[in-house]
Amino acid sequence: MADDVLDKIIGKPTGTTVVTVERGQLGLFAQAVKDESPIYRDPRAAAAAGLPGIPAPPTYPFVMGNFGVFPELQTEEAPVGNPMAEVLGPLMAKGGIILHGEQEFTYHRPVLAGDVLVGEGKVVDAYQKESKGKTMTFVVVETAWSQRGTGEPVCTSRMNIIHRI
Amino acid sequence: MGDHVLCFEDVAEGDEAPVRSHVLSRTDLVAYAGASGDFNPMHHDEVKATAAGQPSVFGHGMFSMGFLGSAITDYVGVGHVRRFQARFAKQTWPDEVLRTKIVVTGKRMDGDEALVDLDVRLHNAEGEEKVVGEATAVVPLRS
Repeated sequence: MADDVLDKIIGKPTGTTVVTVERGQLGLFAQAVKDESPIYRDPRAAAAAGLPGIPAPPTYPFVMGNFGVFPELQTEEAPVGNPMAEVLGPLMAKGGIILHGEQEFTYHRPVLAGDVLVGEGKVVDAYQKESKGKTMTFVVVETAWSQRGTGEPVCTSRMNIIHRI
Repeated sequence: MGDHVLCFEDVAEGDEAPVRSHVLSRTDLVAYAGASGDFNPMHHDEVKATAAGQPSVFGHGMFSMGFLGSAITDYVGVGHVRRFQARFAKQTWPDEVLRTKIVVTGKRMDGDEALVDLDVRLHNAEGEEKVVGEATAVVPLRS
């Protein structure tokens, strides 16, 4: 894949999602990652731990765009296209596999049940390199989550996706 | 779990957090699929996974990171993690024993915040590393 195809998607938005963080979903997710802490289930345990509400487990921001995306809260915006598909579509047409290479979260404050958060994604890097006879294409997407209304930053999620062929 | 509070003064470089250990099951993969919304069939559909050349279904990388995260919050306290980064080194397989290894690599003050840096890893019983990463937590000062 030519470098200019990759360069072209750097900085492109991947879309905006408004998410309502729901208490039931947080307990379910904690259970799924084998975390028994009452802090994810009981507001009294959360308060005892100094938290103003039931918090999300650390990796929950990776999946929170899959739940609580209520249609009436979404912003009306022009379609931004799909820069991931622009790069990964043609690559997958040739075969190979897609891997989740790395993941990073930076927390500005805990994600809490009841939060209404705005997630804005963009491609922050895209590059290709050869390794052990394979061609690896890397696309890095950063999603900045902030509180709706105030814009207060809450969490930044950085995902490194690899196509390997 | 939860009521334990780690203070800055109690932490030293080289300290290790309590190990969490778990035998991965296919039920775990299904539960994580439902709770995360990740229904990639490689993680729950044995027929499709083997047709794609995999020996069996395999674990979500984010399950591994989530399990490792639970060991981090058990140690530093829920709500104290400031940064958590992971590289997915190897796939995980049903019936593997997954074990956390969390080591303090440093402690420092940043303004009035007391920070603890951690090397965080998940490996199987044979020592094969599945996840390799680092985390930073903000912890209370006792004084």
